[in-house]
Amino acid sequence: MHGKLCDVRNELLLREKQAMKTIVRFDNVSKIYRSGEHELRALDHVSFTLDEGKFVVILGPSGAGKSTLLNLLGGLDSPSEGTITVSDADISKLTDNELADYRASTVGFVFQFYNLIPTLTVIENVRLVSEISKNALDARDVIDRVGLSDHLQNFPSELSGGEQQRISIARALCKNPKILLCDEPTGALDSETGVMVLKLLLEMARNYGKTIVIVTHNQNIAKMADVVIRVRNGKIRSVEEQESPLSADEVEW
Amino acid sequence: MILLKKLLRTAWCYKAQFISMIIMMTLGIGIFLGFNMEWKTIEYDVLNFFDDTKYADYRLYSENGFTRDDLDKIASIDGVDAATRYLSVNVELIGDGKKSLALDVSENYTVSTFTLMSGRDYDAGGDGVWLSDKFAKLNGIGIGDTVTLEFHGTRFDCETVGLIKSGEHMICLADSNQVMPDFHVFGYACISPAKLKAILREKAEKTVAEQLTAAGVPADAARRQAAEAVTEEMLETAENRVYAQINLRSGMEKEALEDAVREKLGRTLMVVPKEDHAVYKEAMGEATEGKAMGSILPVLFLAIAILTMVTTMHRIAAKEKTQIGVLKALGFRNRAILLHYSFYGLFIGIVGSALGSVLGYFVCKAVMSENGMMGTYFDMPDWTAATPAFCWPVIVCAILLLTLISFLSVRAQLRGTAADALRPYTPKKMKRSVFERLPFIGKLGFATKWNLRDLMRHKSRFAMTLVGIVGCMILLVGGLGMRDTMAGFLDLLDNGVSHYATKVNLVEGTGYERAKGLIEDLDADWESYAGVSIDGYTATLDIVHNDKGRFDVIDAGNDPIDLRDDGVYLCLRLSDRAKIGEYLEFSPYGGDKTYRVKVVGYNRSIMTESVTMTDKLANDLGIDYSISAVYTEKTSDEIPSSELIAGKQDKRQLMDSFGSFVAIMDGMVIILVIAAVILGTVVLYNLGVMSYVERSRELATLKVLGFRSKKIGRLLISQNVWLTVIGVILGLPAGLGTLYWMLSALASEYELKLMLGPLTYTVSILLTFGVSLFVGWAVARKNRKIDMVEALKNAE
Repeated sequence: MHGKLCDVRNELLLREKQAMKTIVRFDNVSKIYRSGEHELRALDHVSFTLDEGKFVVILGPSGAGKSTLLNLLGGLDSPSEGTITVSDADISKLTDNELADYRASTVGFVFQFYNLIPTLTVIENVRLVSEISKNALDARDVIDRVGLSDHLQNFPSELSGGEQQRISIARALCKNPKILLCDEPTGALDSETGVMVLKLLLEMARNYGKTIVIVTHNQNIAKMADVVIRVRNGKIRSVEEQESPLSADEVEW
Repeated sequence: MILLKKLLRTAWCYKAQFISMIIMMTLGIGIFLGFNMEWKTIEYDVLNFFDDTKYADYRLYSENGFTRDDLDKIASIDGVDAATRYLSVNVELIGDGKKSLALDVSENYTVSTFTLMSGRDYDAGGDGVWLSDKFAKLNGIGIGDTVTLEFHGTRFDCETVGLIKSGEHMICLADSNQVMPDFHVFGYACISPAKLKAILREKAEKTVAEQLTAAGVPADAARRQAAEAVTEEMLETAENRVYAQINLRSGMEKEALEDAVREKLGRTLMVVPKEDHAVYKEAMGEATEGKAMGSILPVLFLAIAILTMVTTMHRIAAKEKTQIGVLKALGFRNRAILLHYSFYGLFIGIVGSALGSVLGYFVCKAVMSENGMMGTYFDMPDWTAATPAFCWPVIVCAILLLTLISFLSVRAQLRGTAADALRPYTPKKMKRSVFERLPFIGKLGFATKWNLRDLMRHKSRFAMTLVGIVGCMILLVGGLGMRDTMAGFLDLLDNGVSHYATKVNLVEGTGYERAKGLIEDLDADWESYAGVSIDGYTATLDIVHNDKGRFDVIDAGNDPIDLRDDGVYLCLRLSDRAKIGEYLEFSPYGGDKTYRVKVVGYNRSIMTESVTMTDKLANDLGIDYSISAVYTEKTSDEIPSSELIAGKQDKRQLMDSFGSFVAIMDGMVIILVIAAVILGTVVLYNLGVMSYVERSRELATLKVLGFRSKKIGRLLISQNVWLTVIGVILGLPAGLGTLYWMLSALASEYELKLMLGPLTYTVSILLTFGVSLFVGWAVARKNRKIDMVEALKNAE
C-alpha cells in the first residue's frame, strides 16, 4: 500500500515537473570586462535553467558574479559569449530598444536601495510603469495588496525603508512581468522589516504566479527558496532544488 | 603636489563645469575690461589729442563777427589763458561738384591748432593749405598738389603743403544732418590768416572790378583801379565780418565767462562751452556710452558667471563629499582640505581672468583702433589703449569671490565628524508643496509632473537656467532690435522726413530778402537754425517754411505735422520743459530779447534739441533770423553757382554716409548675437549636464523599468522647452526694456523710436529655442550611454 502511494506521489511529482515550463535558459554564458590588456571574467561559461513559478535564490559572496548574472537576465547588460533564452526568446543579441521592450514586458526589478523616483508620489511611482507596459495591473489594487493604500499621495522620502521597498515591489508587480528580479531586497532593511518584505515578495509572487529570482549573500534567505544556485568566481558551483523550503517566519535571522 | 594632481584630475572629471565657468569668467572679465578700456581709451586719447591741438574750451559766436579790439578785450579777461579769432566755414572743392571741406583759420594759432602728420609746419604767413590726411588720401591728393576751393563765390588755388589731423574736426561732419564722417566727400583744411586776407582782397577787388566794368570801365583798367581802391580798412572790415567766432582756452565757469564777456563787450554773446560743442559732446557721449555698456553687459555676464560658480561648486562639493570625508579621515586638517578645494575657485578665477584680460584687450582694439569700429568715426593720430585703474581691483575681487564661493561650498560639506563627512551627500527631500494642492496637478501626465517637481526641487538650477535664457533673449532682442530701430530711423530720415534731392547750405547771415531769389529759382523750402537759451540751457531754434513739402516735421508717432502758426513745438527731449498749452521763454544768443511762446505740440527731432516754429510765427514775434539751408528737388549739378551758397549736400550722399554707421551697428549686432549664443549655450549646457548628473539615478531607473532612451531624451528636452518658453516670455519684455534703456542711454543725441520688425522677434525666439533645444539634445544624448548598473548601486 505504502509503495503504491509512493508511486502515485512520484507520478504526480513527475507530471508536475513536466507541466512546469522552463522560463530561463543560460547556455554557456560568459561576461568579460576588458580594460586595456586586463580581462576580468565576471561570469565564466555559466549554464542553467529556471522553471516558471519558482522562487530562486542566487547565493554567493561579494564579487562572485551574482549581480552580473542578474543584470544579464534583467536585460541591463549583454553577455560576451553564450545565449540567454527567456520564454523561448533569445535576449543575448537584442538591440537597446528591444532590450528596453524586454525589460518593460518581461521582468520587474526590486533593488536594495528601492530606486523610487523621488519626485513622484507613491501612486505615481507605481502607475509610472503603465506608460510602457501593455498588460499593467491596476496600480491602486497592487498598492492595496502591499498594504500602503493610505500613503498614495506621499512622496518616497516621507516613507520608511520597508514601506519604500514595498512600493518598489508594487511597482515591479504592476508591470505584470513574468519574472521578478530582486537584488539584495532586504540588504538595506533591519531583520524584522526584511522578513516582512520577503513574506510579501513570496505572497505576491504566489498570488500573481510570478517567478522570483533573488540575488543575495544572505544564507538564511536561501532556506526559503525552491531552487538555490550557488555562484563563486564567476562559475555555478551548484544548483539545488529544495523540496521543503522554510517560510519566512521559520527562518532564523 | 599630490593634491595638485587631484585638482587637475577632478577638473578633468568635471570638465564641462570647469570649462563653462572659465568661459563665463572669460566673457565677463573680457566684456567688462573691453568696454571699460574702450571708454577710457576714448577719454585718454581724445583728451590728449584735444590738449595737443589746443581744443577750445569756449566758443563765442557773433553773426556780425569780431574785431581785433573785441579779441583783445576777451583775451584780457582774468581766467582766459588764450584766445583767437576763428573762422570755420564749409567751402566747395572744385572738381566734380560733390566734395566740400570745412575751411579753418585760427588767427593767432594759440587755440584750435592741428597735428601735422606730414609736410610743412604751420606758417602764419604761408600761402598753402594744410589738408586733412584722410580726405587727401581718399581723394588722391598729395603734398605739392594744388586744390581749388570756392569761398563765398570766390575761387582760389592753394598748394597742399601739409597733411594734418585737427581736434576741432576729430568727428568730421558737414552739419548736424550728417551722422557719420565720410572723408570721400567731406573733409577739413586749414589756411593761414595771411592767405585768408589774400582771398578777401581778391574777392573785394573782384567785386569792385565787376562794379567798374558794369559802369563801363575796360576790364584791365577796372582791375588796376580796383587793386588801388581796396584799402587796408576795407579788408579789416571784411576780416572782422568773417571771423564770426572767438575760440578760447579757459577754466572759467560758463556763467562767469558770460558775465565777463557782457561786461567787456557790452552785449550778450552766444557762449558755447566745449561740452556743448558737437565734437567734444559726441566724443564724450561715446565714452559715456562705453561706460554704460561697461556696466550693463559685464554685470550680466559676471553675475551669471558667479551664479554658475555658486551652483556648480555646490554640486561639485556635494559630489566630492565622500572624498572630502576620506581626506578628513586620513588626517588632513580642515584647513588643508579647505585650501585645496578653494584652489578650484582660484584656479578658475585666475585662468578666466587671464583669458578675459586678453579678450578685453581685443574687444577694446576691435572698437578703438584706426581700423576698428571707431576708426571711421574718430579721426585722431594716437590710438593707445588705456585701462581705468579700478578694473584691476575689480578683477582681483572677482577672483577672490570665486575662491570664497569654493571655500564656502566645501566648508558646508566639512561640518561634523569625519564619519559624517564620509556619508554621501543626501539630496533635498521631496516634500508636498502648495503646488501639489492645485486641482489640475493630478491630471497632468507623468513627464509633466516629473519635470515640474524636479524644477521645484532644484530651484537654484531652475532660476539659473532662466537667467541664462532671459540673458540670451535680452542680448538678441537688444542687438537685433537696435539694428531694426536704426534701420527704421534711417528709413524715416530718407523717406519719411526728407523729400528733397539737395540741401543747400547758405553762408551765415543770409536774410530772407537776399535768399528769396535763390529760393524761388530752386522752388525750395527753407529752414533757419540758431542757438537759443532756455533758462541757460542751449537748444536750437528751428524756424521752418515747408509749404512745398520738401521736408516734414513729424510727431512722436512719426506722422507729419501740419504746423500751426500760433505756437511752438518742442522736441521730445525738451518735452519736460513745458506741457502743451503752457508757455516757454527763450532768448536767442547774440541779442538781449526774450520771447514767450505757447507750446502747441511735441515733435520728434531727428538730430538737434530744438524748438520749432513756422516762419509766420517768427515774423509775427519779430524774431531776427537768417536762413541756414534751403531744400530743393534739383540735383547739385542743376543748382547755379551763387555767393550765397556755402555748400551743397546731395541727399543720396548723406544717406550713403550712414553706410559706415550701419556697418558699426552690424558689427555690434554680430558681437551681441555671438555673446547671446555663447551665454545661452554655456549656461544651459553646464546646468543641463548638472541636471543630468543629478538625475542620472532616476534616468537609470526609468531605463531599467523599460523606458526607451528616446523617450527619456524627450523627457529631458521637454524640461528645456518649458524653461525656454518661460525664459522667452520673461526675456521679451526684459529685452525690450533693456533696448529702451540702451537707446535712451546710448543714443541720447537722437530721438529714436523703438521699431522692432516681426523678423527680429522671430529670429530672437527661434535662436533662443535653437540654442536651448541643441543643448537639450546634446545633454539628452548622454542618456543613451547611461550605466544602469553603476547608477543604481549606491543609496540615494
